[in-house]
Amino acid sequence: MAKTSIDGQALRNLLGAGVKRVAQNVELINELNVFPVPDGDTGINLFHTLNRAWEELAEGEHQSARKVAQRFAFGALMGARGNSGTILSQLLAGFADGLGEAEDVTAPLLREALGTAVTRAYAAVSQPVEGTVLTVAREAAESLPEGLSIDELLQTVVIKAQASLKGTPDLLPILKDAGVVDAGGMGLVCFLQGMQAHACGAPIDLALPERQMAESAVAGPPSVSYGYDVQFLMKGAGLDVGAVRSDLEQLGWSVIVVGDDRIIKVHIHAENPALPLDYAVKTGAALDDIVVENMQLQAAAVARQSGPKAQAEKPELVAVIAVVEGEGMRGVFRDLNCAVVIEGGAGRNPATEDFVAAIDALDAEAIIILPNNHNIELAARQAAEMTDGRRVSIVAARTVLEGVGAMIAFGDASDGGLGIEAIVRAMSEAAQATTSIEITRATRTTTLQGLDIRQDDSLAIIDGQIRVASADIESALLQALTMAAGDNKELATLYYGADLSRAEAEEMIGRIILKIPDLEYEAVYGGQARFPLLVSVD
Amino acid sequence: MTSSRIRIAADSVCDLPAELAASLGVSIIPTYVNIGGESIADDGVGLDRVRYYRDLPSLAEQPTTAAPSPGDAAAFYQRILDDGADHIVSIHVPERLSGVLNAMRLGAESVAKDKITLVDSLQLTFGFGLQVLAAAELAQEGAALAAILQRIEDVRKHCKVYAIIDTMEYLRRSGRVTTLVASVGGLLRIKPIIRVDGGEIESIGRLRTWSRAEQRLRELTRAEAPLERLAVLHIANYTGAERFLESIQDIAPSDTLVIETTPTLGTHIGPGSIGVATLNRNWRL
Repeated sequence: MAKTSIDGQALRNLLGAGVKRVAQNVELINELNVFPVPDGDTGINLFHTLNRAWEELAEGEHQSARKVAQRFAFGALMGARGNSGTILSQLLAGFADGLGEAEDVTAPLLREALGTAVTRAYAAVSQPVEGTVLTVAREAAESLPEGLSIDELLQTVVIKAQASLKGTPDLLPILKDAGVVDAGGMGLVCFLQGMQAHACGAPIDLALPERQMAESAVAGPPSVSYGYDVQFLMKGAGLDVGAVRSDLEQLGWSVIVVGDDRIIKVHIHAENPALPLDYAVKTGAALDDIVVENMQLQAAAVARQSGPKAQAEKPELVAVIAVVEGEGMRGVFRDLNCAVVIEGGAGRNPATEDFVAAIDALDAEAIIILPNNHNIELAARQAAEMTDGRRVSIVAARTVLEGVGAMIAFGDASDGGLGIEAIVRAMSEAAQATTSIEITRATRTTTLQGLDIRQDDSLAIIDGQIRVASADIESALLQALTMAAGDNKELATLYYGADLSRAEAEEMIGRIILKIPDLEYEAVYGGQARFPLLVSVD
Repeated sequence: MTSSRIRIAADSVCDLPAELAASLGVSIIPTYVNIGGESIADDGVGLDRVRYYRDLPSLAEQPTTAAPSPGDAAAFYQRILDDGADHIVSIHVPERLSGVLNAMRLGAESVAKDKITLVDSLQLTFGFGLQVLAAAELAQEGAALAAILQRIEDVRKHCKVYAIIDTMEYLRRSGRVTTLVASVGGLLRIKPIIRVDGGEIESIGRLRTWSRAEQRLRELTRAEAPLERLAVLHIANYTGAERFLESIQDIAPSDTLVIETTPTLGTHIGPGSIGVATLNRNWRL
């Protein structure tokens, strides 16, 4: 049955079938990871992006194809996660643009809208890389014959997309080395295949499979935490300042406890302000002068407060939003006056709308986003463009370690009373000057850039390049530090992950310092998953 | 030596070396360090600085510091007046940070309010000492009260005090500058650069490593040249202070001092820190 035109309802069904096909293939797409490290997340990112788009079509009228496409695209833009998800959201937005005012989609219009989609996606990426989802979209939409029905058109598109996907390793050497096709491109092919299969009459059950839902629930939406500034007095007899301090240090950060056995002043930053108050009440002390403030407002004020008084012009209120994985790492960012910490990282990318919500919640005049991961950068940029005219800058830190370097520079530059442009420049320079060593475990046996890697080896990734593969964590770290240490390097900060203890990290330092005595060492709780150690060399 | 009728007084936080104070006829009232139930006068005699700073990191309980009592202050002023002074200019540690000025005020009121002019130095350590030094030099020449007070202000305007804090631990425990402490944070051992200005301690920079912090301190110090006076300050870090001085030898005046900061202040800043107090040569303009 050769359809030449479809209405909104039919378009909705096509899109739904595409979403479902992607949902069924999340794991397969995740596994197309170019690096043998456990951070493949393209599948889950595309799924979240499309699932958010699909939610927009859950209710309401579906008669107008134009409106269906627009709502779907809006959902995708807001839900965009990861670079592939963001590019897909741009494809969908371009597609909706291409439909113009049409209430029904005709085959020629579909053909044209696919072209518009590709143009918009290319325009959204500052340096388009061939061999990615962009290439697959372009080659699929290129030189489509005229006069085809909708079904025929979709079939042609899928065939061309599959051919293009197969060719991605020839365009991108990194894919060839890893022996995989591009994961984002694979996701797009799945989406198109789902649509085409439905168009050809495959039955469709739009309920998403159980297993998939469960997994996406585990990966979860990233949570955003702001933190509270809590201050109070404890009054009583025989109070133990030292005990109160060490107990409160478990409940928050930036803990200041001063006083004597009769009166103690407490200043603490906590995610849940009830915990320190509850603790203090339970000691039997009487509480007084309780002040609880939301820190997102306060943190923004820090830049203004700590700038030198001599400054003629009042510095702008600048706030930083960062994406950070690991409980301890998040504490470090908050400690360095990061206004909003979005929980996330590889495998758990925040969506554009998470950034939009964080930006909206801040009353700062200028906002800086630290994505701390290359694959989160595009979603952050997309959010920056969607905001209300306030200045939003992206400091393209590629690792959470570069992010910490940038946060220290933020404090330094804010203290120095610098303006927003100089702050952003200082943060970018600091991020670049940081040497990042990420220690993780190989997920497969392979050879990469001349390096023989066996599955379960400890890998050291130095500034994004896998440089060391070794049987154990310590020797991988030792080799990496030997490569990274240089004339102007003084300090190695080891952030130990969820699977290492402080004692293990400190023992490791005790042995390494004998072999590399020129560096100072600091062990800090990071609490991150998958990376037993993240090490910055400054 | 005692021909001048106006005498200069100060508390021990000014870090004016004892010989210099004696030769200029400056009277110094000691502040106190409370350690293990004992209150020790920080007069350079009762408290062995080297030992104090060596032991400080391992003390179970953080020592506290205290102002002299109003009674001490009254007796102190009485002695100077008995010694033949017509008037006393009494310069002190900032009121925002310490109770010294209040105690001195109460003491002055009980002795001879009209004969004592109290001045808030709005500075610490030798930034405060530079004001005492300049006032004492002028007092020795027999200058009038107004001229002395003007000079104190001129010097204050042209002096700078900067320091690198080696660890935030001591400021954190002291609880006197909570805004600064909360803003710098404590999970990483960041080295803040502080400036004393207008009686307040503020952070004007934060560096990740000591040598970068030292580089910043050098830049800040060089920006104050040409220098009429310079003191390199330290807390239990004489070697660091000497090395730092070596690196700015070209702008250091020949009478540059290396001063170990008084325990009254050092208790709150902590061992390891180094800093500078500078006086720009243009201060008379």
